[in-house]
Amino acid sequence: MTAAVEPSRILSVEGLSARYGHVEALHPVDLHVEAGELVAVLGPNGAGKSTLMRALMGLVPTQGSVAFHGHAVPRRNPAKAAAMGLVLVPEGRGIFAPMTVAENLELGAYLLNDKQEFARRHDRVMTLFPRLKERLAQTAGSLSGGEQQMLAVGRALMSDPKLLLLDEPSLGLAPRVIEEILQTLGELNRAGLPIILVEQKAPLVLTLARRAYIMSVGSIAAEIDPRQVKSHDELAHFYLG
Amino acid sequence: MSFKLLTTTAALALSAALVAPAAAQETYKVGMAAGLTGYAATVDRAWRDGVEVAIGVLNAKGGIAGKKIELIVEDNKSEPQEAVTVYRKMISSDKVNVFVSGCVSAGNFAAAPLIVRAETPMVLCSILPQQPDHVKWAFTTIPPPRFEVETRLEYIQKKTQIKKIGVLHDPSPYANAQKAAAEKEAKDYGLEIVGVEQYKTDDADLSVQIQKMYAAGARAILKIGLGGTTLTAAKNIKQLGLDMIMLTSLEDIAVFRPVAEVLGDKFFFVASPAQVYDALPDSALKKEIGTFLEPWRAKYKDRDPNWAGRGWDAMTLVAAAVAKAKSTDGTKLRDALETMDGFQGTTGIYHFAPNNHQGITENPLLLATIINGKVQVVK
Amino acid sequence: MMNSLTSIWAEARSNPLLLVLWLAVAALAAYVFVNGGYLMAVLQFACIYVVFVAGLNLFMGFTGQVSFGHNAFAAISGYTSAVLTATYGWDPVPAAVLGIGGALACALIVGYPVLRLRGHYLAMATLAIGLIAYEVAVQWDSVTQGYMGISGIAPLGVGRWTITSDRGILIFLIVVALLSLLMVRGIRRSRLGRSFVAVAGSEDAARALGIDVARTKLLAFLISAGYAAVAGSLFVHAVGFVSPEVFGLHMVVLAFTMLYVGGIGTIVGPVFGAVIVALLPETFRGFKEYQDLAYGAALVLILIYTPRGLVSLPDLWRRRKAAQKTDVQQTSARQGGAA
Ligand SMILES: Nc1ncnc2c1ncn2[C@@H]1O[C@H](COP(=O)(O)OP(=O)(O)OP(=O)(O)O)[C@@H](O)[C@H]1O
Ligand SMILES: [Mg+2]
Repeated sequence: MTAAVEPSRILSVEGLSARYGHVEALHPVDLHVEAGELVAVLGPNGAGKSTLMRALMGLVPTQGSVAFHGHAVPRRNPAKAAAMGLVLVPEGRGIFAPMTVAENLELGAYLLNDKQEFARRHDRVMTLFPRLKERLAQTAGSLSGGEQQMLAVGRALMSDPKLLLLDEPSLGLAPRVIEEILQTLGELNRAGLPIILVEQKAPLVLTLARRAYIMSVGSIAAEIDPRQVKSHDELAHFYLG
Repeated sequence: MSFKLLTTTAALALSAALVAPAAAQETYKVGMAAGLTGYAATVDRAWRDGVEVAIGVLNAKGGIAGKKIELIVEDNKSEPQEAVTVYRKMISSDKVNVFVSGCVSAGNFAAAPLIVRAETPMVLCSILPQQPDHVKWAFTTIPPPRFEVETRLEYIQKKTQIKKIGVLHDPSPYANAQKAAAEKEAKDYGLEIVGVEQYKTDDADLSVQIQKMYAAGARAILKIGLGGTTLTAAKNIKQLGLDMIMLTSLEDIAVFRPVAEVLGDKFFFVASPAQVYDALPDSALKKEIGTFLEPWRAKYKDRDPNWAGRGWDAMTLVAAAVAKAKSTDGTKLRDALETMDGFQGTTGIYHFAPNNHQGITENPLLLATIINGKVQVVK
Repeated sequence: MMNSLTSIWAEARSNPLLLVLWLAVAALAAYVFVNGGYLMAVLQFACIYVVFVAGLNLFMGFTGQVSFGHNAFAAISGYTSAVLTATYGWDPVPAAVLGIGGALACALIVGYPVLRLRGHYLAMATLAIGLIAYEVAVQWDSVTQGYMGISGIAPLGVGRWTITSDRGILIFLIVVALLSLLMVRGIRRSRLGRSFVAVAGSEDAARALGIDVARTKLLAFLISAGYAAVAGSLFVHAVGFVSPEVFGLHMVVLAFTMLYVGGIGTIVGPVFGAVIVALLPETFRGFKEYQDLAYGAALVLILIYTPRGLVSLPDLWRRRKAAQKTDVQQTSARQGGAA
């Protein structure tokens, strides 16, 4: 990897590792994201994908450095990371079931004090996910799985992310719903939003991502160009080793 | 179904409770707020049973002012808040004529403003409230705490060579009052208090406190407070092999039997006359105790008569005062109670006066020990 | 104020069973107010507990924490009120204000370290705070007079204008209870309230949104301690007496019962919880020795049939209706298919 600073590079991560107690679940990894890019992170169960996302946000104790738009993202201070524009939609969505859809969206803009800006973001989310609009007064827990995922993305958008981290948005959803959500993500990305998309089911993201990191047992095993991947067998090769 | 059933029963229960009619006053109503549950349960249940026995005897003789006596007992759960509720219930719903309430002093204090407003006197098992305007309506059957101390100090002075003593007490108001009395009066008996130690009623070991006092030279311990800690203290003294005697405050004698087995002749306790009835010489006191013990023993065999005897006293006092006032009116009863001077009870002679609402003014208490399972009076 | 009243009305109309519950409470209050009697005292205590439980609900229900020690804050303000008015002749208002301030200061000092704990550890630590407060009330008898307690505490009021009549006290306490509920409602609907619920949902998710979790918990703790302190001062001024048992563990047990019976995490749950739990023992008073048994059995029944509290009754109702409807539809569909 070249260490030369490219103006288009928005996120650069060097030697980032993370531990749960005494167990190092993420061994030092390097990765980067370019402006406007959608990068996929692939890997089997337990590979450390979610840990990597949590490490980027500073939700777990880490070592190594994360720089975003040339500024160091502080460790163990997720609120600051959020304020810098790193926004995570966690695995399992992390929506607040007892609150209404509207309240969940308002929480997305927790750090925002500008009413006009709020209205602008809100409108954008409503256009993106019209189904949420009809359910604003409903509690989030009463939404369907797909709607919950839309809400999770919508809430992340309310904080006007500069980089969106999505941890397995397809989890537990029907293929048709996954299709719909991925399509929206593609739209967002084409409109200029950089995204890191974690997935287990590789085929889902191969059409969207221009680059993918393959993770296995706590490290990044390879970086590939999905468009070069000819067959599933070839991909399986990366997974296995 | 369940939901409907629930609401209906709740509604029924509620309405039943709310519309319960206040019965016409054809009985003489005695109210009692007592700690039937909670920390005061042992004492207050005995007190209640004593009052009930007295009412049985009084009713057989025609009741009070020609009316049958009706006792309304409400559990204050040994809590002041609960006491306020039940006092108010008995004042406004039951319209009781007088209270004979148990030993939960905090509960009686909390309710004192209510009984002042209701102009209903109360005769208590507990100490008197603090406020002068509250005391006006409150009378107590309790002997001054210092009597329990003086009985023991006098024994130590007259019958032993001991000059240095320790005080071991729990944090209850009554125990604190005894502690204060001991600190004040020890020198009058030629004694020096070399240690004052406090414990909690649920402490499982007192050896630290005891050893400390022993090291300071104490050869007698005044143990002040109820419950299992007396046995604990006795065991500690024995385990440590200390050469000291222990003198405890008033308590159910049943509690003392195992203690005597541990400490033998080094163990003494303050006893009320009713507790050592069989060992008493003939007297007006013994006669009154006999009147009480006959129905008491018929019902409860050899259950300890100490607190029950005080309940008996409270009830017979009320009956005598109503007879003297020739009226069931609260204010007149209060005034009459203030004139009950020389009333013979099972605890001693009550000398109530306008400026004295604590009737027992002469020390009626004895010191006793248990030798070979038999209670013996030593003073 | 007007605004929130109309929105309460809108809520009630959309939820008829809740309206019935409210009407029942209002009818009870009116009945007691007119007829007097000792139920007045029961309702007065219930109102005080509404305040205490509403605050606890903020910390436990909304923020998803646990505290067995809020009686400590009631004790601090209650004793401050008692000592300053009874011993030093202060007016109730400054005494209570100082007491509440003192309770908040203590909450700040203990909250900072204690709130780093979670779950059972938090429960244990808060329990210890409550026990310590009790012990201090017992032992520091030069000020608190130990188990003897303090009587002669000034009644509620300002200067020469005091509330001493039972009805006056009841009205005052009802107003205070309603105000404290409206405040809880305002908080719940604010950004702060949403951050409370977010912390309860998932601390990590809340953090990732930029919420300072430690600060949010501390704020919830402080506000709820403030409520507890208000309840503590109200209690001593209303009753005129305080002793350690008043703010003992039984206060915690009672508050928990009210919280769960009424509906934890809901805005109005504390009202129904406090009223029912205060009134239930009275409805069973005729049972004499079996009063506690009947009371316990009734509580268990309520918790079994409305596991999320009395305010969840309307939901249960709606769900049952819905279930019946689908039953009917299914049967008719089947019949249609057969025809
Ligand atoms: N809170 C935790 N405490 C301890 N170990 C953890 C914790 N969370 C994850 N791990 C461990 O860290 C490793 C990586 O887990 P991680 O959740 O990052 O995997 P993943 O790639 O996201 O898997 P999946 O596809 O199943 O979501 C696993 O071995 C897991 O057991
Ligand atoms: Mg994962």
